Formats: sequence, C-alpha cells, structure tokens
Amino acid sequence: MSKRRGWTIRIAKRIAGICGIAVLASCAFDVIHVKQQPVQIQSDGAKNPFYLARAETFPLGTGFTRTLRRGTKWDYVGALAHGGVYRSRDQVFTVEASNIHEAYLVVSEETLVGFYLPVEKTYSPLGKPIALTISPTKPDETD
Amino acid sequence: MSKRQSWVFLAFAVTFFCGCATGPKYSAVASSFANLPSGQGHVFVYRASAMGAAVQPEIRMDGQLIGKAVPLGFFYVDRALGNHEIVTSTEVERKLTFMLESGQVRYVRLGISIGFFVGHIYPELVDTDVALSELEDCSYIGQP
Repeated sequence: MSKRRGWTIRIAKRIAGICGIAVLASCAFDVIHVKQQPVQIQSDGAKNPFYLARAETFPLGTGFTRTLRRGTKWDYVGALAHGGVYRSRDQVFTVEASNIHEAYLVVSEETLVGFYLPVEKTYSPLGKPIALTISPTKPDETD
Repeated sequence: MSKRQSWVFLAFAVTFFCGCATGPKYSAVASSFANLPSGQGHVFVYRASAMGAAVQPEIRMDGQLIGKAVPLGFFYVDRALGNHEIVTSTEVERKLTFMLESGQVRYVRLGISIGFFVGHIYPELVDTDVALSELEDCSYIGQP
C-alpha cells in the first residue's frame, strides 16, 4: 500500500467516525424526555394555599435544575393520588428535558413529590422528593 | 491594528449586527399592547441575545407560523385561552407547552444552546419581571 493511499484511508476513517458521532449526537438531542403518566385531577374543594418559607433548588433528573423562590404563594388546584396540586402566580414554573412544559407542584405531607403538567394532563414524578419548608402566611422579608 | 485586521474586524461586526432586529424599542411601543381582546391573552416572544445571530428559525404556535427568532427582536400574538405549544426547529425541534388564561400575558424567551452543526433555539417561559427587563433591549419586529 502506498504511503498516499494509507493517508487517504486514515482520513476517510476519521471522517466516517465524525459523521457517526454527528448522527448519534443528533439523535441524542431528542432522547431526554420528562417521564409522564396520564392522570385526572380531582377538584375536591378549596384547601389553604401555602407560602415557601425557604427557597429550594433541586435537580429535575433530566440534567436541569429548578429553584422554587422563597416567599412565593402556591394555590391549591386539586388532588391527584400522589398528593395535592398547587400552582403559583408569583413565579413561572416549568419542567425541562428536550422540551419544556409548564408545571404545577404535587405536594404530599409538605414534600414535593412530583409535578402536574396541565397541558398534557400528566403526572411527572420527581426522582428524589424534596421536603419543603412551608408557611401558612407570607414569610417576613427580614427573616 | 493593521489594515487587514481592520477589514476582518469590520467583516465580523457587519455579519454580527446585520442579523439583529431593527425597529422601535419595547418602551416606545409598550402602551399599544395594553388592549387585550376579550377571551384572549397576549403571548410575547423575544430573543434577548445576539449570540448565534445567523440562526433564525421560524417560530410556530399550535402549528401556525407566528414569526422568526430574530436576535434582539420581539413580537406578540393574541391567542384564545387554553393550552398552547410553541415550537422552534433547527437541526432538532424544541417545544414549549403552557396555559393561557383570561387576561393573562405570557412571556416566551428564545434561548440558544450548543448544537452539533448549528445552535439550537429553544422557547422557554419566563417570569414577567425578568421578561420586562430583557425586553427593554429588544426591538419590535412584528409578525410575518
């Protein structure tokens, strides 16, 4: 094999490798999804809202993190088998993987256990539930 | 700086700024957005950064073309209340789903992330205070 031919083959292999990685990487862009299961939210009357007495930052388990801001008010929307569903007008909340979905919190015994996606009407569990520090009244700014 | 370096710098500058939005700033036209048709909500869509200015994909809302991701540009649409989705397409599709309620104004920022061949433009829902602050630097580009 001539020196020139060997060089050409090496370059061709490298280009093939790069193309292979490109194809795999392009596929990988879309493989992360928010885990969802269809649910039906039950409107079981009004329950008290709560305020977050402490900010919480946590991983979603999709490579993204979210922060719940301190002092935000969360209003009761309804119930799922997993817990109560709460939404806030004080902060936008979304869950994110390849796509982004508006989400409400699902809270059971002061623990964030997952999210309700109102557009998809699905429940998305949180891998590691987060204990929330909540208050029935708005926390003092100076606390 | 040599003459050659100056030309290279000028070429970069022209390329960078040519892709950016021109038009009235948000503060100059904000008052005209105040009227909200009954039973509808406003959805503002904006791109607050000039990074990746050459990548300007179309923006579709519920399957309908509503605009382009022009750097430092914004536009808005009025939509019926209910569920909506905004999709951008580059080498991949990125989707945002959200609710629109009566009298509500939603703000959708178009971010950019690293792609393999081109950057990915993705829509994300942002808080009103963040959006209003970022919109100050954006120009109204209207709809196609």
